[in-house]
Amino acid sequence: MALFGNTFQILDRSLDYASVKNQTISNNIANVDTPNYKAKDVDFKSALNKAQSSLEAVRTHEKHLPFQSGHGLPEFEVVSRQNTTYNHNGNNVDVDKEMTDLAKNQIYYQAIADRLNGKFNSLKTVIRGGQ
Amino acid sequence: MGIFNSINTSASGLTAQRLRMDVISSNIANAETTRAQLNEDGEWVPYRRKMVSFEEKGSSFHSKFQHALHSHSDNNASNQNTGVRVAEISEDEQPFKMVYKPNHPDANEQGYVAMPNVDPLKEMVDLMSTTRSYEANVTSMNASKDMLMKALEIGK
Amino acid sequence: MPTVNQLMLNQAASMKNVSQNRTTPFEAQQNFADSLKNAINHVNETQINSDQKTKALAAGEIDNLHDVMIAAQKSSITLQTAVEVQSKAIDAYKRVMRMQI
Repeated sequence: MALFGNTFQILDRSLDYASVKNQTISNNIANVDTPNYKAKDVDFKSALNKAQSSLEAVRTHEKHLPFQSGHGLPEFEVVSRQNTTYNHNGNNVDVDKEMTDLAKNQIYYQAIADRLNGKFNSLKTVIRGGQ
Repeated sequence: MGIFNSINTSASGLTAQRLRMDVISSNIANAETTRAQLNEDGEWVPYRRKMVSFEEKGSSFHSKFQHALHSHSDNNASNQNTGVRVAEISEDEQPFKMVYKPNHPDANEQGYVAMPNVDPLKEMVDLMSTTRSYEANVTSMNASKDMLMKALEIGK
Repeated sequence: MPTVNQLMLNQAASMKNVSQNRTTPFEAQQNFADSLKNAINHVNETQINSDQKTKALAAGEIDNLHDVMIAAQKSSITLQTAVEVQSKAIDAYKRVMRMQI
């Protein structure tokens, strides 16, 4: 019996994304004055990568190990925004954008964590059976 | 994300006001720059005052086009493209101020120097106005964030 | 949750001795079983609804955060009510079974 269904995986993954994004934003804010620093962002991997990762490897023998093709959940990566320059020293960090992204990410993280908490509590309620 | 629309709008206001402040700072710093650029004759031209023009996001042709392209795939009909953007940074066409300084290296034959058309007092007033607008946007964003955090407390 | 389903339907089946003046015991059992089934379906629907809204929130497709929170609270309260009703029903069953004839 599967106790933790698909929603748990999605919420788990979203928390991963939110915490990586938080680190990226902190990094950007810390480097707001660094010459030639390009702001980083967290992107979901492009659709092409997702399609490629869903290919099954053909096994010529039963005992060969299968390739890990990902768990079907969206993958994300940290990318760098290369094309813009704001300052004379080549830095392209927009501190207002980073601060608002920080606030939005914080709200997102709390909402997802709250939902995850709620689902765990529901499971506990049912398992305890009202005692 | 739809819940962050108001925060995104305030963010666009913050970015626009910051850019305006950068332009004002540039004007103030260059209030006496007589050698800003070289024109076609190889002579120095003084600094010309810059101005920003704001426009509402979503009212330019480019954004309407993008919205039409993507509207069939949007699940929510909410307006995702509100806010302000800087339409252009233009130069003020007012004539340069002519000041009598016969010993100045950039003086013309009559002894007049063409100074930039920047009035520092006007720039300071604009600076104060920009600061107030920036603070207003910050207050608005804090209010949106407070509302969202309160929504997270439903049922606690 | 299959456990809750089975338990509650078992309780319904074991309570078919409720005496009714106007309806036959069979009809009473049917009514009770039907309303029980509806209640369980309702619990299931609120859970699914809340799950869908939560997935949409994680994917970034939600317009109003309070929608998600309210749906979550509704499903949680509905579930807790169902669990309480089940526990009360089991208690009542145990008391009935303890009666000396």
